[in-house]
Amino acid sequence: MSEMTTTRPELTQAALEAAPPGRLKDDPILITFGMLKTFGGIRAVDIDHLEIERGTITAIIGPNGAGKTTLFNLLTGFDRPDHGSWRLDGRRLGGLPPHRIARLGMVRTFQLTRSLSRLTVLENMAVAAQTQRGERLERALLRWLWQSEEERVMTRASELLDRFGIAHMADEQAGTLSGGQRKLLEMARALMTDPHMVMLDEPTAGVNPALTESLLEHIRNLNAQGVTIVFVEHNMDVVMDISDWVVVMAQGRILTEGRPEEVVANEEVIDAYLGRAHERGNDEGEPGEEESDA
Amino acid sequence: MEFDTIFGNAARAGLGPQAAIFALAAIGLNLHFGYAGLLNFGQVGFMMLGAYGTAIVVATWGGSLWLGIPFGLGLCVAFALALGIPTLRLRSDYFAITTIAAAEILRLLIRSSPATDVTGGPFGLQAIANSFYDLNFLPDGRFGWGTFTYSSNQLWVMLVAWILVVLCSALVLGLIRSPWGRVVRAIREDEDAVLSLGKNTVAYKLQALVIGGLIGGLAGVIDVLQQSGVGSENFEPQVTFFAWAALILGGLATTVGPVVGAMLFWFLREGVESFIRQLSEQGWLPNALADFLDGAEGAISIALMGVGLVGLMALRPQGIFGRRRNLHLGT
Repeated sequence: MSEMTTTRPELTQAALEAAPPGRLKDDPILITFGMLKTFGGIRAVDIDHLEIERGTITAIIGPNGAGKTTLFNLLTGFDRPDHGSWRLDGRRLGGLPPHRIARLGMVRTFQLTRSLSRLTVLENMAVAAQTQRGERLERALLRWLWQSEEERVMTRASELLDRFGIAHMADEQAGTLSGGQRKLLEMARALMTDPHMVMLDEPTAGVNPALTESLLEHIRNLNAQGVTIVFVEHNMDVVMDISDWVVVMAQGRILTEGRPEEVVANEEVIDAYLGRAHERGNDEGEPGEEESDA
Repeated sequence: MEFDTIFGNAARAGLGPQAAIFALAAIGLNLHFGYAGLLNFGQVGFMMLGAYGTAIVVATWGGSLWLGIPFGLGLCVAFALALGIPTLRLRSDYFAITTIAAAEILRLLIRSSPATDVTGGPFGLQAIANSFYDLNFLPDGRFGWGTFTYSSNQLWVMLVAWILVVLCSALVLGLIRSPWGRVVRAIREDEDAVLSLGKNTVAYKLQALVIGGLIGGLAGVIDVLQQSGVGSENFEPQVTFFAWAALILGGLATTVGPVVGAMLFWFLREGVESFIRQLSEQGWLPNALADFLDGAEGAISIALMGVGLVGLMALRPQGIFGRRRNLHLGT
């Protein structure tokens, strides 16, 4: 594939406005081509081209069934596409198992939090640290080989827990955390892996407004440290608040993408997602009915 | 009613080599299920391979016992890989079904007529452990008092068996307290979450399966040493479930649970059996009932153990040493 070598047009405002979905970015960290995933006869994800700009916060929005989570699963290796190729920092990820993709720096969270219930909160964090010597079976009993590393891991884990305001729960089993605390823990745990890119699947779902604010603050801080963030979100206030770029999906395709204020003004988006779905009072589980001719 | 005889018999069983063998099997299962979340219903397969591997080298091929034991344990590793590589990528129920089937297929193969030249088929193999008893440094004669009288060789097996139990418990404890063990316990909680954090979960599960299987293999080796022989009737599927019962009785994911559970299992089993036998002998039972129970003490004992386990699950579902709180945090 020679996409990496093609010269990119200057990203002017005019070019942005004229460009179709799948717009080229200045400095993409993630590039996806021809991603197709079908379940039976349904094209759950059918994306010709998608780029994610490095160092930005990108929101993926769309009605239920639009393929947002499936796209996450494909990109992070939890599901395999029928065909398609994608690269993180120029490295091909197609065919890699999820743990290899995570090691390359693209870490995801899940829509339903997955705390490791019977491990302590601190252990939850420690599991996420990468390339630990003591995690190798042959060294597990040789404590002196990993003792000092373990202390560093624990210190770092405690610092992160402190930053996320759940340090007082460090020695409690993660199963005792409240839903909101679990969201915080999951985000902190993802950070513990030192990611380049974090994929958050509905980070604020089921979280009270005060905690949502704090979660968004953490996302902003993380982004300020240079981590690229992609998140799936239904709450348009959140999307407008923190995202630099919005990708709208419907029926597995990218309907449009652009700056948040462009996207909310787009007729197609209003039809497919904002307008109708909202007027009907959120008919959950049904894909958007508008045919997209993007 | 001679309660001291009943208690004596029960205690002898609780301390005997059978209890140690089941303790080893349960320690292996504890690593599999208690820590790694692997539903292994074929632990007896590992015991069988440890036992038959050892016995075949010695009795069939005329090799040394000290080659036989590593050969038997090597078969356990091969069995773990053969079971784990195709199934550990799948959902855990596939693995569970495969284990029980594989262990039973193995037993049927071992006792089949084409295998008789190698395994002794239904007759088993004998005279295997002589070089083990040659190492016995205990003086000849009988030791102990009353019910607890043992020959020198009996003591020697028990000594080695219980030392192995302590060593294997310490091994599992050490592994579980390491970062390796943390990953393994994390996989038990939620495999996808651990995958998303960059850990090769299949490799960890496979490692846990191999180590727990090796400990089960050691149980089989002790069985061969204790009887100096081996027969396929000792490796029927219920052996696995007795080991499970011992583990659940003692408490999952604890260090002493499988050991105390196995001791208690044999203590109770022998105690109840002895009690029923006493009842019949003393004529405390109506004749019809005594006739009915005659020769079935063992079966009745097992049935009562089952009832007892149901009671335990109702009153103390976490087992004797388990932490109740953990139950409610289950996924």
